[in-house]
Amino acid sequence: MTAIIATTVFGIIMMFTGLFVDNKKTVSSIAAVLFVALLGINIMELSDATGPALRSMTLSLLGTADNTNGAFPQLLFNNMLRIDKMSMWFGTAMTACTALYILLIGKEFRKVGTHVAEYFALIFFILCGLYILTAYNSMLMLFIGIEIMSIPQYVLAGSDKRNLKSSEASLKYFLMGAFSTGILLMGITLLYGATRTFNVTEMVPMLHSESLNPLAISGIVFIMVALGFKVSAAPMHTWTPDVYDGTPTAFTAFMATIVKAGVFFAFLRLFHVSFGNISEHWLMILAIVTALTLLIGNVTAVYQQSVKRMLAYSSIAQAGFMLFSVLAVSSNIAWNGIILYGVAYSVATIGVFAVLVKMKDYTYDGFNGLAKKNPLLAFVTTIFLFSLAGIPLTGGFMAKYYVLLAVMHQGNMMWLVIFALLMAAISVYYYFRVIIAMYFKQGDPELTSEVTMGDQVLLIATTIIVILLGVMPHWFLMPA
Amino acid sequence: MHLLLLTADQNTPFNYFPVALQLVIAIGFVAVMMGATHLLGPKRRTKDKLVNFESGIPSVGNARQPMGIKYFLVAILFVLFDVEVIFFYPYAVNFRFLGAEGFKEVVLFVAFFFCGFLYIVKKGALDWED
Repeated sequence: MTAIIATTVFGIIMMFTGLFVDNKKTVSSIAAVLFVALLGINIMELSDATGPALRSMTLSLLGTADNTNGAFPQLLFNNMLRIDKMSMWFGTAMTACTALYILLIGKEFRKVGTHVAEYFALIFFILCGLYILTAYNSMLMLFIGIEIMSIPQYVLAGSDKRNLKSSEASLKYFLMGAFSTGILLMGITLLYGATRTFNVTEMVPMLHSESLNPLAISGIVFIMVALGFKVSAAPMHTWTPDVYDGTPTAFTAFMATIVKAGVFFAFLRLFHVSFGNISEHWLMILAIVTALTLLIGNVTAVYQQSVKRMLAYSSIAQAGFMLFSVLAVSSNIAWNGIILYGVAYSVATIGVFAVLVKMKDYTYDGFNGLAKKNPLLAFVTTIFLFSLAGIPLTGGFMAKYYVLLAVMHQGNMMWLVIFALLMAAISVYYYFRVIIAMYFKQGDPELTSEVTMGDQVLLIATTIIVILLGVMPHWFLMPA
Repeated sequence: MHLLLLTADQNTPFNYFPVALQLVIAIGFVAVMMGATHLLGPKRRTKDKLVNFESGIPSVGNARQPMGIKYFLVAILFVLFDVEVIFFYPYAVNFRFLGAEGFKEVVLFVAFFFCGFLYIVKKGALDWED
């Protein structure tokens, strides 16, 4: 709750910073301080929420029971928001990823255009939408959260105003996004017609498998299509490559990671909490969507010539894996799976993008001989790509393991798990093409800016996080 | 007719049969009428008839021309104030009922609104000459 207010206020502070502070370096530092403060607020709130849980865990280890019952979950604004520990944990994890993103890529904002403070403000507003999406308890809040999240993204996509591709990305994203929002609203309306409530939990008793209103089932499919659009699941993925490619690289890194993970959390929450009881009506549709997403994402990524465009297709492919956590309705690992996948995918992708913004040439050939020119840059990129491909001892492996395990628990989805493993094998091909270019090909890659000492420290820290995610995944999961 | 009355009693998908019927009739009517006028009516195409009708004034140039963004900004600002007023009307009606709590919320809303307005004025959205 404090986090939602704080991020809004920080966004407004950033807007006015843009008016009164001319020096862009000062603006960036103010933004960095505010992001760290936001992370601090999140952690404080989280420790309030999980504090008792942590205490009771230690007490039960000592053999004494603890009866303190915290005020969680919090219900706010006439049950419109329901902030529980899981949503707080996820929100904090995503804020931490954003702070990492700002530290790694934030100074590249200056190269995009003149309105640096506004870019930071927009990212604060996107985070506000993300917090609402992690905690919504009403379909209206789901809609508002998605809109708060999407509208700043349309602006960020077009932030490089003089660039034709950036404008194209913005317009495409806006038109398609507005259309999918229409579909979402239609779905919410149909569902309201069937259950007479907007409340996520109150509609559960209205949805029975035996006497399911056809309005409800069409509503669920409409919502599935709209959310599938936002997370770029096939066949609603067609906007993704052009938008991610046209958007300035510094912002693609944010749109493809934290935003996507946030929408996935909302997706999971809605389909597990509200529609979990009637899963046999929609599970097959979602399973086919998952299979299609994996197939199209991975196979098309193979044919790309530009690393940035390859990463766009790879983000479609990774969305396929994240969909597994939504599929695992009856498994309690699914929630941990999406948190771990969201963090592992975000950190690794932000890392790759942090290297990519430094490159002058985004094609595979542009990476030729990077290992000779800058061994550190090549090494960290290799680790990030290992993580994305799901090589053991990296975060990506553990994340894939969790989501696939969740579906295995569910049962009778074995075909999809095997298919996903095959597709993961394909993904190794296009991720490793970058590694091969860096280590085994001759060339002299040009960098747009100097790799400073701070960059090196941050990149190494990111690499350590990626490896920690792979060897100590439980550190990143909520203590039970 | 008997059938239609019967279906109205229970809550089944069949309940929506009259709606579907209405939809089919509506689309059918439009299609038939358009087809009929097309086939039956006389066709005299003259140059004047094919030109866009602009209240009798001869049309000048193409409508799709780039124009100043300032018009758009003013229009959007108007929409903002419009929405503000939309919130004020229901508040004014329930002013007594909502009491101090409601007043606090509305002041908060106006404060946020004012922040945005201040920002856009400082940015020079209303400077017509530059």
